[in-house]
Order: sequence, then structure tokens, then C-alpha cells
Amino acid sequence: MLGKGVVGGGGGTKAPKPSFVSYVRPEEIHTNEKEVTEKEVTLHLLPGEQLLCEASTVLKYVQEDSCQRGIYGKLVCTDFKIAFLGDDDSALDNDETQFKNKVIGENDITLHCVDQIYGVFDEKKKTLFGQLKKYPEKLIIHCKDLRVFHFCLRYTKEEEVKRIVSGIIHHTQAPKLLKRLFLFSYAAAAQNHAATDPRNHTVMFDTLKDWCWELERTKGSVKYKAVSVNEGYKVCERLPAYFVVPTPLPEEDLSRFQGHGIPLWCWSCHNGCALLKMSALPKKEQDDGLSQMQKSFLDGIYKTIHRPPYEIVKTEDLSSNFLSLQDIQTAYSKFKQLFLIDNSTEFWDTDIKWFSLLESSSWLDIIRRCLKKAIEITECLEAQNVNVLLLEENASDLCCLVSSLVQVMMDPHCRTRIGFQSLVQKEWIMGGHSFLDRCNHLRQSDKEEVPVFLLFLDCVWQLVHQHPPAFDFTETYLTVLSDSLYIPIFSTFFFNSPHQKDNVGRESQDTQSKPLNLLTVWDWSVQFEPKAQMLLKNPLYVEKPKLDKGQRKGMRFKGPQGRGGRFSSWFSLFPASWTRTALSSGTAWPEHQRQLSLPLTQSKSSPKRGFFREETDHLIKNLLGKRISKLINSSDELHDNLREFYDSWHSKPTDYHGLLLPHIEGPEIKVWAQRYLRWIPEAQILGGGRAATVSKLLEMMEEVERLQEKIDARPHGQGALLAEAPLLLRGSARLSALFPFALLQRHPSKPVLPTSGWKALGDEEDLAKREDEFVDLGDV
Amino acid sequence: MVAAEVIPGPRIGEAWGLTLHPLQHSGPKCVQRTGMLEPRSQQLDGHVASGCLPGEQILAWAPGVRKGLEPELPGTLICTNLRVTFQPCGWQRSQETPLSSEYDFALVNIGRLEAVSGLSRVQLLRPGSPLKFIPEEILIHGRDFRLLRVAFEAGGLEPQAFQVTMAIVQARAQNSQVQQYAGIPLSKAGQNTGSRKPPVPLLETSEDWEAERKKQGARGWRVSTINERFDIATSLPRYFWVPKRTLDSEVRRAFGHFHQGRGPRLSWHHPGGSDLLRCGGFYTASDPNKEDIRAVESMLQAGHSDVVLVDTVDELPSLADVQLAHLRLRALCLPDSPAAEEKWLSALEGTRWLDYVRSCLRKASDISVLVTSRVRSVVLQERGDRDFNGLLSSLVQLLSVPEARTLLGFQSLVQREWVAAGHPFLTRLGVTGASEEAPVFLLFLDCVWQLLQQFPAEFEFSEFFLLALHDSARVPDTLTFLRDTPWERGKQGGQFNSYTQIYNPGYCQPPAGNSVNSQLSVWDWDLRYNSEQILQFHNPGYDPEHCPDSWLPRQQPSFMVPGPPSSVWLFSRGALTPLNQLCPWRDNPSLLAVSSRWLPRAAISSESLADQEWGLPSHWGACPLPPGLLLPGYLGPQIRLWRRCYLRGRPEVQKGLSAPTISGLQDELSHLQELLRKWTPRISPEDHSKKRDPNTILSQSR
Repeated sequence: MLGKGVVGGGGGTKAPKPSFVSYVRPEEIHTNEKEVTEKEVTLHLLPGEQLLCEASTVLKYVQEDSCQRGIYGKLVCTDFKIAFLGDDDSALDNDETQFKNKVIGENDITLHCVDQIYGVFDEKKKTLFGQLKKYPEKLIIHCKDLRVFHFCLRYTKEEEVKRIVSGIIHHTQAPKLLKRLFLFSYAAAAQNHAATDPRNHTVMFDTLKDWCWELERTKGSVKYKAVSVNEGYKVCERLPAYFVVPTPLPEEDLSRFQGHGIPLWCWSCHNGCALLKMSALPKKEQDDGLSQMQKSFLDGIYKTIHRPPYEIVKTEDLSSNFLSLQDIQTAYSKFKQLFLIDNSTEFWDTDIKWFSLLESSSWLDIIRRCLKKAIEITECLEAQNVNVLLLEENASDLCCLVSSLVQVMMDPHCRTRIGFQSLVQKEWIMGGHSFLDRCNHLRQSDKEEVPVFLLFLDCVWQLVHQHPPAFDFTETYLTVLSDSLYIPIFSTFFFNSPHQKDNVGRESQDTQSKPLNLLTVWDWSVQFEPKAQMLLKNPLYVEKPKLDKGQRKGMRFKGPQGRGGRFSSWFSLFPASWTRTALSSGTAWPEHQRQLSLPLTQSKSSPKRGFFREETDHLIKNLLGKRISKLINSSDELHDNLREFYDSWHSKPTDYHGLLLPHIEGPEIKVWAQRYLRWIPEAQILGGGRAATVSKLLEMMEEVERLQEKIDARPHGQGALLAEAPLLLRGSARLSALFPFALLQRHPSKPVLPTSGWKALGDEEDLAKREDEFVDLGDV
Repeated sequence: MVAAEVIPGPRIGEAWGLTLHPLQHSGPKCVQRTGMLEPRSQQLDGHVASGCLPGEQILAWAPGVRKGLEPELPGTLICTNLRVTFQPCGWQRSQETPLSSEYDFALVNIGRLEAVSGLSRVQLLRPGSPLKFIPEEILIHGRDFRLLRVAFEAGGLEPQAFQVTMAIVQARAQNSQVQQYAGIPLSKAGQNTGSRKPPVPLLETSEDWEAERKKQGARGWRVSTINERFDIATSLPRYFWVPKRTLDSEVRRAFGHFHQGRGPRLSWHHPGGSDLLRCGGFYTASDPNKEDIRAVESMLQAGHSDVVLVDTVDELPSLADVQLAHLRLRALCLPDSPAAEEKWLSALEGTRWLDYVRSCLRKASDISVLVTSRVRSVVLQERGDRDFNGLLSSLVQLLSVPEARTLLGFQSLVQREWVAAGHPFLTRLGVTGASEEAPVFLLFLDCVWQLLQQFPAEFEFSEFFLLALHDSARVPDTLTFLRDTPWERGKQGGQFNSYTQIYNPGYCQPPAGNSVNSQLSVWDWDLRYNSEQILQFHNPGYDPEHCPDSWLPRQQPSFMVPGPPSSVWLFSRGALTPLNQLCPWRDNPSLLAVSSRWLPRAAISSESLADQEWGLPSHWGACPLPPGLLLPGYLGPQIRLWRRCYLRGRPEVQKGLSAPTISGLQDELSHLQELLRKWTPRISPEDHSKKRDPNTILSQSR
């Protein structure tokens, strides 16, 4: 194949010791170079993107360094990304790569996605920063989405090496000014581009109306009001222009301490209890008078929210007795090292001690603690009927995390894609989480870089993984969302506060006299084709039937056995006793069976509601359970309540449209394999994993849809979309377990084994079979 | 203490159901309290009748409530001389499934017994230890990781609770000898006639072996009858496969030079032409002559020029390691294990169980590459040839061909490579109390479960089938797992009276009707599980596209490259090293002492065997794997804990394990198709959702 230097390779019995020595002879390079220039791959530039520097004849290694395989091409650096242009896309033409990001190619690294850059000098790896005296023969780039790139510069002209290396180092690591973000040049150049998707109903919470709508939705409008006192950020730059506070709170109080010390409403529970957050008042010990003032102010506030109609308020101080940002930072930096693998040898070294290494990073333990905190707060709201007030210094880190987790667990709306996006918009974007600093987009301070949002996504992933039918979105959605943090064409994650965004927008507006139209990440069509977007949607999710619509739907899916829901019904059909004793008898105990297969009704009153009180008695009798359950090892009375709440919830069949609690025992917190392992070739299982199940599922879904359509004999709007999805998965017989990501990293090497005849045979048969299927379905 | 006087001795010798212990007459009171409406005598008789097995005697019983799972079930805890069983109120042991084992704990299966009183008093009951208080609750931890928690009724019935607890302790102590359920009342039509066909070929006749040989297409092989009287080795099956060209006299000669007479036999013939053989270690002390050596060599070569000797135990754990790991795992999975939640992962790692699973998978994956990549003879050699050879050979077959991944295929695989090949189940599962306990078979099941996890669409059987098999290993109802050698199994199954019968050529046809049990095997699932449960054995996610017939035609051109002329290799530490000769006796005695220690492979495996054989990265890139071959993942993050099996004792972990959505969809699908069929009579009959009839699932034969 052209432009490809396959060096070394298998054959003998033992591979040579991995080294950076290449076996390419100079003559080969020259011929290759010619071919490369002939088969130039054009650089795709976004509107407003500028080429900064480039270098040719760069050899990009495939990650197997024992094989020393590589691809020649050109390495370029623009003000948006680092890109490698090689003749690598022969494989990309076929349909398996439909899950392609339209903005970021396989070999593109946005400047913000670069984590660390290393150079190899005489086989020694060193971190590169600042001005270099000597230029490396090999460049290793670690990305924040955990990709690792190896570029060999040995065959590149010296001045090109200098230019590209210093260019990359400068543009990725030097501190930047906010207004120099690519975001603005893109927005300026692509004005007409930004047409918002009409189907995108994500609530942005940038108008008073949005907040009122949310109050209405959660029935919180009785006790809370949306205020516009901060319009134009007159009161405080940290707070959004509009927010919600308890109704009796006097407006002048709001502006007294620049928004500190005010209970801000997050969400209202079905029983009227609310989740509130408050940023702590700044501590000024020297000024006695001021602190006195603060105290009386706070007393006043507390008095207001303690008075009926408000429930008792429980204050949860997240600055003390909980995680510190430092903990999160340390844990993640240890954790990610497990996946940033330079070579396979390193991987195998660590593999033996995988579990203890994983544990010593304590990332999973941090996830567990976050989930546990969220369960605690859920218990207060749901079972104890108290309001919860989250307290944190700026109310913009752990407050966002905990309050949005609680909402995901308690509010089924937040488990739809739109609801989840609105939640992120409300709690994180409007909540003033400083994405710019926490992601270190401007490279101003490494200390501030804490992956709080990623931690949140990982916590949500645990929930998605444990209760897949409860979520409208898939883990792939969460993965691409986490990747989108580093794509600087979306404004969503590139500001510290809504004030900053509006302000910068206004500034640039003056100079250009055109309003900037910044893209939001929620417009997924910017990144993915509609077909690829299907993979973000969970085919098994069933919307909670609404009364009028649900009637129809419920009818349609009702079987003769009187099963209620459509898909939800099966989850309950599965006997729980499988789990404990080996096999349960389906018929032996009718009573037993009936209880287990109680259809999860769509009735408005969730079976989970109020169970706490009813169950107390039973649980007290069941005291032995305490010895058995080791959920909480403290003996607090408070924790006993929590444990009862937790145990009792988990002993019931799950209502996917009600309260949802995660399992937090040791074996239950898992590694988000799709995100963390996707670039490691050794971790792929061809033809296996979840992808295999999902493709089977989709296939069957398709059939169910089609049959239902036939039975209904009337036009069916939703079916069409679903039916498309299997095609994506059908393309190849054997998908990797890490689908859809693993496919993007493939190696166009051929085995010595002559399988061609076989392949043709298999394919033909498969094809014939599939065609049959389609005919079948069409005819019926 | 009042209770001290009423400790009853177990009433051995009483016929079950005829004589009840006097104390049982006080039972009805409690029965009424638990809400039963039937008259007392009927209630008890009902229990007895439904639970009756010939020869089983009730020792004690007490009413109680099964705890720990929702809903709580009132019922009766019964201790017999064979098992401890909990019978929920109103539950009848169906005649159809006389051995239904939901709440049965065979005495040998009881791993730990705890009596609890109040919140603080917990006593671990060891054989012979007196019970120090009246128990309010009893916890039975099964060695198969199950847990039965029964709370006794209060109010005047304490003596009964005390009694049943003590009875269990004593029965356990006396039950060091295996007792097989002596007879099973069979009411099925086919069984009454006496000539019923076992669901899976039991490989006890030469016809079975011949049929299997033909199925595999092993044309260069024949069935040898040389061990028909078990005079070559009692641990070998009566029949096995040897190269066609080898005479029986040569077989006899060659086998004498192997440990315990277990010479090289064909395990499995790869459709592409390779052969997988297994044999015991070379017998060190023998001094074979040239002809013997030639016979051994030709049997090892099996007509191939390329021979790979696999040192089976290399890189695998020792038997003691497996046993220790299993014990540790069991301790970790106990509900009150001392490991803290945040230390769970390292505690799990500390058991090393997953490490062993992983090394088995890695080795099996390597061997399947060896078998698939070239036409050659691959010989698994283990000193005893009865443990890891079976494990590896079965795993290799599961990885290499789709046939082995069907329900029928897997069962015949276990029957052939484990049962017929003489895996010492009784000893290894610790039923005899011998010191050589090591649950190799359970390790194998765990490996298969990992494959099932990794390739959910490739296996016809489900996790529940594996669980059922796992739990059957310790239920003393059929001979399958209750004997150490085929000889003992045959002896028991055939006739009980005559040892000399072995030498009787007519022995292999057991007299019909005399002992029904001999024909029963663990594969008669319908004795233990009802049809609905058996339906669950089927993996709903099994992709019909992977159906064996469709893409692995038997008659195929050889697609693999023959190896270099007459090359002999030793496969060890993940690499092939050339050998000068196959047999060690000529001049290289050091080979006999191949290290059998399990050692982690040095971190050299950056390139897997697949790379070496095909010259490509292990993840295969754009090239398809040879059809049917699965390469399992065996990295740290990919090997998981079989929670549904091992964490059964921890209900809080079990609840809400994700439900099998595919089976639900399938139900929905078949229901819709049913509807359609009713509505439109002209529908084409061939819809591709399989009609899942429980009767055909297990006896499917193509």
C-alpha cells in the first residue's frame, strides 16, 4: 500500500525487545516520501481556522511498538487542532465508521485536548515544555480523552522539526487569553452556520421564563419565586441573570453580600421538599463588626426558610466532611495513568496488579462517596421530608455535582436526554461551574484543573450501567459528552460563568458589530450525522406514558396476559429468586410469583413512595440484616436510617420512572470501560461485549417495531427512527466490545494466513441471509 | 436449660413418612400460626409425600420463615439423612421434578452453619460442638455460595428449633461418606419403558464414540476397544480414539510408558485438519525399546509433520493454589467478610482466583491459535492428564468452533472431556474429604462464564445453565459427578454385586429395569428443573447467524498452511521452542522434570501468540478472524467476578442485577408474531425467531 511503512513484523518465535529503533532504510524513506507527496491528503479546515505550522514525513506509530508499524504523513498544527494527515483512511471509507465525528477526525487532537507532551531523546522519555535546546526524535502526545499518539520525527527535516515541536508546545501549553480562544474566530467566521436545531428543546435557563417553567414542572412555584434582580449582573457576577429563591426573601437581602449567603433553589421534590444551595459568606475574622452583621443576616435568612410553610432545613456543608477538590485531582491523575499507555510492555507490567492499582488511585472510591452523599440527601428529601441546603464556598463545584446527581436519581425527567441536558445547563452552566479553570482551557493554572464534571459523568455512568432501561441516553452519549469538553467551537464548556460569556460576547460585539452566535454542545448535529446520533439514544428506554397518549400506547402493547407496560413489564417478569438460590420455579408458588412479576404500573403513585414509613416496622424486625449489610460501617442512628432506606429500596422491584438508587457496594462500582479503555488495542474483544448484545437488541427492536406497525395498521412515527439504528451495527459481523470507538483505530495489515477464500464464502452467505431477512420482513 | 434434655438422636432406620418423631406431633399449632388452613395431618403428609425419595429419612423439622429475600416465605425446615431442605408452605415437590433443588442443601454441600440468637449471639456450629442456646435463626452457607437463612417461629416451639439444628449438625458429621440418593421415582413415560435415550451421549458405548468421531470428521482416527475391560487404566474411558494406522498392540505398548497408563489420545479434531491430543506425563522409570518409542512418537504425531507439545501445567496454578484461591474467594463472598468496601478490589485480587481464571483463558487462547493457524498435532501433556488437560481442551474447543457453544455441544463436551476422561470429581470437589480437593471444574465453569460475558451472542446456553451445572456438582443425585473414574461409575451404574463383572464382556449392557439410576445423568435436567427453568438455560441473545451449520461446513478445503517438515516444538511460557525429539528417554531426561510451578509470565507478552503465528496484532485490525474462532480478552479489566454465582449470599448485591432484556424482547416478538399469525392466515411460516419448546431444547439433534 502506498505511503505505508510497515516495519519489522511478526514471523519468528519471539518478538524483538521493543525499542525505538526503526528498521527502515533511507532508500525506503525516499520512495515513500515521493508517494506521500503524490497522495497528499487535504487538510480540512473549519471556518476561521488557520494553519500555523507543518512538518512532512512524520511517521505515526501504530500503538504496537514491538511491531514498529507506522504510517507516513504530515503533521500540522492549526489554531484549533493538531492533525496528522496520512494515507490512513482507506479503511475509513467503509460503512463501519459511520460513527465519525464531523468536527474532530480520527487523527485530530484539539489544542485543548492535549494533556502532556513528551519527547524521546536517545530512548529516554522527557516531558517537554517551554523553550527547547534540543529537539526530540519522537513526540508522544497524551490527550485528555486518553488517546496516546506517537510521532517519529527522525525522517523529518530539522527545521521542520523545530518549527512543529515548538509550535505545538507553544500553542498547547502557553497561557492564553480568553478572547484568543478559537471559539470566537470560529463564531465570527461561521455566522450563517449556526442554525439551531428545531428539535433541540434543551432548556437553557437564560431567561426568566425558563426558570418559571422549571418551577411549574416541579410544582415548586408555591414557595419559591424566580427573580430577575441580577439582570445585567448588577448584583453579582457569579450568579446567573435569573434564579429562584424562597418567596418571602426580601429583594434587598439578595444584593447585600454579592449573592453569598442566599439560599438558591435547585429543585423541588414531589412532596414539596426542596433542594437548595448556598455559597458561604466570605470569612473575615479580623472584622468583628462585619462578621456580626453576617451572622445576623444569616440568622434572618434561616428564620425565613425555617418558618412554615417551609419544612425543616438540613444543612449539608460540602466544604467540610466531604471530598476536597484536591482529593479529586490527585485521584484522577493517578487513575488516568492506568490508561495512558505508551507501549504494550508497560501495559502488561501493570496488568498483573490491575485491581490494586485501580484501588490505590481511589477514583472509584470517590465515585462511591459521591453516590453515597447523593443517596443521603435523597433520603432526607424523600423519607424525612426535610429541605436540604447544600453549602459550599462558591456553590459551584461539589454543589453542582451533588445536586445534579440527586436530581438524576429522583427526577425521571432528568434521565431523558433533553432533561439531562437541561439539568447540566441549570446546575453547571448557570450554576457557575468554572469550566474554563477546571478544564484548564487557558493553561493558566494547573492547580485549578479538577475534573469535577467528569466525575459527575462517571457517577451518572454508574447509574446508567446499573439501570440501563431507566435512561433515555446511552453510555456512548456520556462518552461523547465528555469528549466535547475539549472542542472549542461550543461555548457551553468554555466559560467560567454566564456573566463571563455574556460579557465577552458583548465586547467582541463592539468590534465586529455583528452579534456572535456561539454554538451549544447540545446541537449534536454539528458533531454527528443523524445515523450516528442513533447510538446516543437508548433503544430500550420507554418514556413514561402520559395520560392521554399513554392510553393509546398502553393498549397497543398490551398482551393477552394483561401485561401493562411495554418494555418495563419484562424487567419485573424475571424472577428475583434466580439471583439468590439457583433457579426458581416459575410455577410452584403462584403467590410468590405474582408478587415478583407485579407489573410495574404506570400509575402516578410510584410504589417506592412512602415505603419508608411502612417498612420501618418490618425492618426493625429484620435487625439481623444489619450484620449482613455492610453498607455503612458507622453505627450512627442517622446512618441506620440511611441503610434502611437503601436496603429497603433495593429489596423492591425497580420502577424506572420513579426514584432510582445506585448500588454502592464494593463490587458494584465499575470502571467506565468505554471511555477509559477505548484506545487500548489489547482491551478489545472482537465480536463480543455489550456491543454484541446491543446489536442483537436493536435487531429485535426493529422487528418488534415492524410487527407492531403491521398490527396497528396505521402510520407510526417513532418506528422509523429506531429501524435505522441496526443498520449501523449490522455493517460488520464482528464489532469490537468497545464499539463505536474501537473501530476508529484499525490497522490495515493483512494476515499471512490466506483467509480470503473463507472471507468471501462467509460474506456471501451472510449477505444472502440478510437479504432473506429483509425480504421476509417486507413481505409479511 | 430445658433444651438440653430434648436433644434427640437422629432416628436412622425409620422409614421416611411412616414413623415420625414424637415431637412432630406438636407441629400443627405452629402450622396454623403460619396461616395454613389445611388439617394438620394432611399438611405433614403432603410434605412427606412430595419430598419422598426412597431411603431418605426425616430426622427433624421445625417451622420457620425463610429470610433475606423478598418476599419472606413461611414454611418448614427439614433435616433428613441426605439433605437439609426448606419447604415453603403449600409448596409441593412436583413428581415431574423430584430433585428440584431450589431449597435443598445436600449435606455435603453445607459449608458453614451458624446459629443466631438475638443480635449478638452467633455460634458457628462445627461437627460435634454442642449448641449453646436456642437459636432464633439458622444460617446455612452452601459450598456452592448459596445461603439459606431461616428464622424459627417463637412461642413454645423452641425445642423444635433446637432439635432441627442439632440434627443438622449431627447428620453432617455422620455424612462424611457420600450417599447417593438411592432411587428416583420416575414417572415420565419414556423412563418407564426402561430404554430411554440419554439427552446427551454418555460415551459409554463404542457407538457413541464412533458417532462422535464421524461428527468431528476425524477420518484418520478410529475407536480403540483396548480398554474395554479397564485393564489399561481404570481412569480412562472404555473407548477412546487412536490414529487409524496404530495397532491395538502398539497402543498397549505405548500407553505403558505414560503416567498411570494415560497415553496420547485424540481429544478433538479441528475442522481445518489439526488434531488436539491429550496425554499423561512420560513415565520416568520405564526404559522403552526402539519400537516402543516409535509407537509413542507416531501416536503423538498422529500423521502430522508439525507437533507441538504443550506443557499444560506451565503458567497454570497448582491444584493446591486453586483450592486455596477458592477458599479465599468463598471467605470473601460471605456476607460478613471482613473486607471493607473500599478495599474490596484488592481483597478480590488477593484471592488470586481471577488471576487463575485469566491464566487459564490466556493459555487456552494461545492453544486455540496454535490449533487454528497451522495443520498440526497439538498435544496437551499433564502428568495426571485428569485436571487441567480437560480444562484446556474444553476451553480450546469452545473458543474454536461454534458447535461446542451450543447447549448440546457443550454438554457433550463436558461429558467427553471431564466425565468420560476421568476427572476425579469426587476427590476434587472434596466430597470424600480427601486432601486433594481442588475445584478445577468450577474454575472451568468460571472461565466459560467469562467467555459468555465477553461474547454474549456466541453461546446458545445462558449464565443460568452454567449456574445449574455449578450447583449440580454437589447434589448427590446422579453418577455424573459422584465418581472419580469411569470404571467406578460403570461399576456403580451397572451392577452392584460383582466386581468380577468387569471382566465380563457383556457388562456394558446393564440389565434393563433393574437400576434406573444408572441411566440418569446430570444432563437429565428435567428431574431437577421445571420446563420454565429449562427455558432459561437458553441464551436469548444467541445470534442465529452464528449457527454452526451456516458457516462452518464440515467438508472444506484445508485452509491452513502445513507446518515445516517434521518440526517438533515445546510450547511453554507463551512461546514455541524447538525440540530435538518427542520422547525424553533417549538422552534428555531433563524434560521429564518440566517445571510445574505456576509463575506469572514475565512481561514479554507485548506480542501475543496470534501475532507470532499470523504476524498481526492480536486485535486483528481489519482482517476477520478465521470464522468461528474467538479470542478472549484476559486483561485485568476484562476478567470479572461471577457475581450471580459467588455473591448469592449477599442479597444486597444481588438485587437488581440487570434483567435480561433480550429475553423480554423475544417474548414480545413471539407474542406479536403469534398475533400476526392469527390475524393474517397467509403469513409465511418461516419467521426466524426460534420457537422455544422446552422439550426440544435439550434434546436438539441436528
